[in-house]
Amino acid sequence: MLFFRSEERVREWCAAHEYPMRPLVTMDQLWTLATTWYSTRLQEHSRRPQPDEMRSIFAGLGLGGDFWNPQSDSFS
Amino acid sequence: MSFDTRTKLAIYRYFAETGHRPSLEVVAERVGADASSVREAYVRLRAQRVLVLEPDGVSIRMAPPFSGVPTQHLVIVDDTKYFANCAWDSFGIPAALHRPGKVHSRCEQSGEPLNLEIDLEGPPPCNWLFHCLVPAARWWDDIVFT
Repeated sequence: MLFFRSEERVREWCAAHEYPMRPLVTMDQLWTLATTWYSTRLQEHSRRPQPDEMRSIFAGLGLGGDFWNPQSDSFS
Repeated sequence: MSFDTRTKLAIYRYFAETGHRPSLEVVAERVGADASSVREAYVRLRAQRVLVLEPDGVSIRMAPPFSGVPTQHLVIVDDTKYFANCAWDSFGIPAALHRPGKVHSRCEQSGEPLNLEIDLEGPPPCNWLFHCLVPAARWWDDIVFT
């Protein structure tokens, strides 16, 4: 889970390491993910989102498909 | 509050206060229990995916978003320095602390520095990108690599 200056830099990095290029996430989307995951982390009743909640969170940000599905078996 | 929750909060609050991982002994002191009981709680917290341990079973590698070891993602909040486990977690530290913070990281391909001032509403307009190589279903197969 890394930062890149641009899509071109992601493409270069993936090619250099023979990795598949994955969906890109903007800084605004990343902030939403960070607050959703962690804003209650220091509180007594915090918990990680469950798979259904994760799918809903990702979908709300336009992050859909098997890649963002925590229960997908497409990558076994 | 359950013992596991008290243990989890002791760990996370120590990270929040200091920027560093607590030792097993410090956590035991904070929860008022013996070290072996805390160690058993660590195993259960790992199963809940809120704690990642080093191979010794007692040193904390991750209490996401906090990292127990130095990384390329440095976050400064109120003059305290924190290391984040990944790009996502670098935003997660100001989010968890509900405080503005400075995120210092880099482009993984070019090495260009990233310096962002995060306020309570998030980052300023910025066209940098986040890329996650590992599919969500496989994140915890090897969370350190993820």
